[in-house]
Amino acid sequence: MDAFYIIATAALFAISCGLLGAFLLLRRMAMVGDAIAHAVLPGIVIAFLLSGSRDAVWMIPGAAALGILTTFLIEFFHEKVGLQTDAAIGVSFTALFALGIILISVYAGQIDLDQDCVLYGEIAYIPIDLWITDGGQIMGPRALYVGAALLFVNLFFLFAGYRKLQLTTFDPAFAAAAGISVSLWNYLLMGAVSVTTVAAFNSVGAILIVALLVVPPATAYLLTHNLRHMLYLTVVFALLSSFFGYWLAVLLDGSIAGAIVVCSGLFFGLAWLGKGIRRRTDLVF
Amino acid sequence: MKHALWLSGLLLLSLTFSCEAPGETNNTDEKLYVVATTGMVADMIAHIGGADVTVDALMGPGVDPHLYKATQGDLSRLQKADLVVYNGLHLEGKMGEILEKLGRTKPVVAISAGIPEAKLLEDTLFQGNFDPHIWFDVSLWAAAIPALTEALATSDSSLREVFERNGKAYQLELELLHDWVRDTLAVLPADKRVVVTAHDAFSYFGRAYDLEVRGLQGISTLSEFGLRDRVDLVNFLVERQIGAVFVETSVSTKNITSIVEGCRQKGHEVRIGGQLFSDAMGAPDTPEGTYTGMVRANVRTIIESLNEH
Repeated sequence: MDAFYIIATAALFAISCGLLGAFLLLRRMAMVGDAIAHAVLPGIVIAFLLSGSRDAVWMIPGAAALGILTTFLIEFFHEKVGLQTDAAIGVSFTALFALGIILISVYAGQIDLDQDCVLYGEIAYIPIDLWITDGGQIMGPRALYVGAALLFVNLFFLFAGYRKLQLTTFDPAFAAAAGISVSLWNYLLMGAVSVTTVAAFNSVGAILIVALLVVPPATAYLLTHNLRHMLYLTVVFALLSSFFGYWLAVLLDGSIAGAIVVCSGLFFGLAWLGKGIRRRTDLVF
Repeated sequence: MKHALWLSGLLLLSLTFSCEAPGETNNTDEKLYVVATTGMVADMIAHIGGADVTVDALMGPGVDPHLYKATQGDLSRLQKADLVVYNGLHLEGKMGEILEKLGRTKPVVAISAGIPEAKLLEDTLFQGNFDPHIWFDVSLWAAAIPALTEALATSDSSLREVFERNGKAYQLELELLHDWVRDTLAVLPADKRVVVTAHDAFSYFGRAYDLEVRGLQGISTLSEFGLRDRVDLVNFLVERQIGAVFVETSVSTKNITSIVEGCRQKGHEVRIGGQLFSDAMGAPDTPEGTYTGMVRANVRTIIESLNEH
């Protein structure tokens, strides 16, 4: 059952991240996941300074608050200050990460406190981090439920807001003319991204999530420029990467997150090759 | 909708395949199988368990436990284990939290739980947060033996007598080692009893054997050191005329080299006194690959380099 649990959890998070990542990619904000991974540092330090505890109960809200703040800052620098999105991302997360480092050096140098040791989960341990009810009933891995709940919320959000997200992504000017609040939908998307990434960091680790936000959507984007098809293909690559990545890790007895990311990279390479061949031979696939 | 159907088919297919996987196999071997996190913990188990217990350490030699990344095989080792033992006090970071949760479904023991809280070094600012490097005070480390013996005996009650005998013998060995460390370090004159290392791992060592301990980095190997920390440490070395600083096997040497350079600019020659084993033991099959060997090696390194000046 371990293999099933790990692949299923990885797939759930991969689909959530991939779908949100597709919109981020189209808005030229693909690296927002990496930014959040760094920017949550002051959040966990402040949560620790307030609570004196390194328990996840305190760390996750602290991280989530900073995740949302990061996305707001990025939007602010982009919309109001007029920076390009990549610069806005760079300015926001480096400043916040540095703030976290300073807080640690000044207040908590004698405590082992960083994202790696208090926030980031490890996908390999999903099957032993069980949800056990008060009655002692073992309900299966906790991360599986977190992943399923997140996917449900994200799917609901994307289905409900599909038209508006599409319009604000591709033609903000037209969207605004049609009476859709561009910044509201920006903030909604970014809010979904920050909550999803922080919960996912805690369940399966950071590098996996940062990669899953970018690579499957980028692979899909190579093959199609139709948004609906791109989203479907993203889901396909997210699933394939989770499945083959897990077995690659078994084969090598290596890091599962690492192997899943390598596999998604391989699919990207294959998609690029396939596209090249198709163009050169004019074959229709 | 056609796409959605196709996708759920793919999802089902990949899940079916993963179910057929050769999953967990329960330990059919007669021997008690124990999994430890660090080498020091594994070494203690090997001594108490003797030939009747198989031990695996998840973290190999030279690995920084704060930064350890799990592999796929670690999971099956943990699943197969009859007993899991870890250091505790947040040494293993997030992994310690997960092992604690594993304790709800199988026997899991933290070494630090066997040590009375009054003997632990608590952070002065944040109560309830303790320095995890307990193995550097040999008597403190030995204090954890009874609880571990009990845990092993509970896992296999037919071997209770063997474990208790081995445990007592190891306790005696560690008591002798504790005396040896104290006596050996006693030859150092008062003005040379200063150990400067890359990160704050040696507080228990200093307290137990009456040495002043300074670390450049905090307990976390990720916390950056401030400029003033550096200046303070350099001034301290120059003022006290301390001849040697130490690097650690599991931490980068870069920072401590910058201290040596800083002292040189002030006209005070500081050497790197050698490598101390801090968060991980030496390679297996070398003397430093055991807990007692590692402690002896550290003490020898300290004596040799501090006494030269």
